[in-house]
Amino acid sequence: MEYLMTGQEMPLEDKLQVLTDAAKYDVACTSSGVERKGNGKGMGNCVAAGICHSFSGDGRCISLLKILLTNECIYDCKYCRNRRSNDIPRATFTPEEICTLTMEFYRRNYIEGLFLSSGIIGNPTFTMELICRTIWLLRNKYLFNGYIHVKAIPGAAPEVIEQAGFLADRMSVNLELPTAEGLRTLAPNKHRKSILTPMRQIQNGIQANRNDLVLYRSAPKFVAGGQSTQMIVGATPESDYQIINVAENLYRKFDLKRVFYSAFVNVTGDKSLPALPGGPPLLREHRLYQADWLLRFYGFRAEELLDERHPYFNVMLDPKEDWAVRHLEYFPVEINRAPLEELLRVPGVGVKSAQRIVAARRSGRLDFPDLKKIGVVLKRALYFITCSGRLMYPVKLEEDYIVRNLTSPRDRIQFGSDGMSYRQMSLFDDANFMRPIGVTEQRQTALGQL
Amino acid sequence: MTVYRCEDTLESIFTAIYRAYEEKRDHEDTLLCLTDDPILFSEDVAAEADEERARKVMNTLKRRFGNEDCASLCMALAAEDTDKAQAVYRTVVKGLRAGSRPGRLFDNLADNDIHRAFALARGVSREVGHQKEFLRFQELDNGVLFSGIGPKADVLTFIMPHFADRLPVENFVIYDEKRNLFGIHPAGRDWYLLRGEEAQETLRLRYSQEELRYQELFRLFYHTIAIQERKNDKLQKGMLPLRFREYMVEFWKA
Repeated sequence: MEYLMTGQEMPLEDKLQVLTDAAKYDVACTSSGVERKGNGKGMGNCVAAGICHSFSGDGRCISLLKILLTNECIYDCKYCRNRRSNDIPRATFTPEEICTLTMEFYRRNYIEGLFLSSGIIGNPTFTMELICRTIWLLRNKYLFNGYIHVKAIPGAAPEVIEQAGFLADRMSVNLELPTAEGLRTLAPNKHRKSILTPMRQIQNGIQANRNDLVLYRSAPKFVAGGQSTQMIVGATPESDYQIINVAENLYRKFDLKRVFYSAFVNVTGDKSLPALPGGPPLLREHRLYQADWLLRFYGFRAEELLDERHPYFNVMLDPKEDWAVRHLEYFPVEINRAPLEELLRVPGVGVKSAQRIVAARRSGRLDFPDLKKIGVVLKRALYFITCSGRLMYPVKLEEDYIVRNLTSPRDRIQFGSDGMSYRQMSLFDDANFMRPIGVTEQRQTALGQL
Repeated sequence: MTVYRCEDTLESIFTAIYRAYEEKRDHEDTLLCLTDDPILFSEDVAAEADEERARKVMNTLKRRFGNEDCASLCMALAAEDTDKAQAVYRTVVKGLRAGSRPGRLFDNLADNDIHRAFALARGVSREVGHQKEFLRFQELDNGVLFSGIGPKADVLTFIMPHFADRLPVENFVIYDEKRNLFGIHPAGRDWYLLRGEEAQETLRLRYSQEELRYQELFRLFYHTIAIQERKNDKLQKGMLPLRFREYMVEFWKA
């Protein structure tokens, strides 16, 4: 194969640059989900929470050596930098090069492991075999015991995907676009079905492996860190409601560990893609992640957050605040009595602080200063909670009032250094304290009742 | 009032706690102090470290509060604050008095002393996490991996087990510049700490042949992986504070 030959002559520095540049739009760079002690012989261990080793100029974490095996792709997906018809430098790593880079970076504590994806070289099965061979070498020749995340290439033979699953800690298949329709227009070589097939295969593999592990404790682990996927947001006209529904279904029906959202960056300039003069839709991506957390850790369902009439997230309020102001019938929540599920729905109360509240109120009644110590964000929570039946300030439980206070920094209730202070009263305040004296009052005054 | 004057070590503070119980002091009227500031009408007692007593306290804490909470108390004692001894002492007194079950010592965060010890432990635990993330090894010409760190708290004892487990086949040294303390791990054996008498050792470091190449490769990777359209200095600074950057190869100039 000629293109492989040209790749061989390129120095490692250039290859690393080309193939890092090609991989940078992939978002699933986490090293979490697996707890594995070192084995005393090889190199590496895994920490369940994951470890981020650096943060790049865009503020995203660098946890794994995120590279493509090759960017010599035969596909022509319109959103992708590595599409066949794009004129960019091409390169292919040899498995040994990847192994050496991983080992040398890992022992210097630059990275937590390897994230290996690839363009489609030759055909999907061949590409998957190359990936598999690389991580087999890494595990068995270089005795690497750290984290490995690989992509399952849609359309590859199931045997190869299974083999990779026994070597990797996490696998992912990219959904690319939230709907089958979007996929048809932008990625003519990919099909919804061919993406979901390996996803289902991995899910079944994990399930079967769990049963094996019950029987045999030392059975080899299959994709111990679970599988993830990502979708591009803003390249196709799907609404947030559609996206969040897709995500919820993936969590429910495919047991995914994570769904990642990637704000679309127009790198190819294709005419069928939106131009995005204001830069990538980062706020939208942020709101989707917030909603994603609500789905996974706070017991929310997608249809509670959005519906056909509200298909997009509020720009000014986060999804939880947005839900809360539209459901004031659940509030105020009494901190000293409410069950954990209700506490979790209060804006400004996170999972940790909700658990701490439940633990701390066993020892005594909690008041607002105690909540501050526990880590509750009072400036958001104060409209929605009471401590022993009291509100923190005399606020109104009214949608417009709360939205106004949550969104505009000028009108917010002022906080001093001690956490609470009051506004100076003035005779000439805009607030209309005086209302005209009505007929009733005049009569009452006259009769001496007032 | 009784004031135990402790040294800034875990052993000394644990010894003082032991003696406060042994000598049947009134815990409401007893203070553990790390400084020499005079306190009016106090009875000063010097609490020298005693290994036997410190170990007994450690065992009791583990038994009564569980390994995790005991580790949190130890972390709180690694902080750089002068009130840490008192906060930990008060937390232990309250925990023993309330009969906290294992893992439940820090439940009552509304209490000021418990919250203080909790906050100190959390601060140190964050620093430990940061060092595990941002510490960088350089390979010396004899194959030893060397890393210099300048942590806010005395975290070396907490990060050594992590790296010893991770790199069992490597000889590596982590040097705490601020406390002049070496953590040394010989390949295949247990790690230990060494108080450095002279810091000149660091000046004589010579890199191995390959070291500069891998530093350059990682810098290249680091700069290439960022997406220009998403550039966000503020977010980066929040996640990776500037004080770590002098120790990290990706921020060094070639």
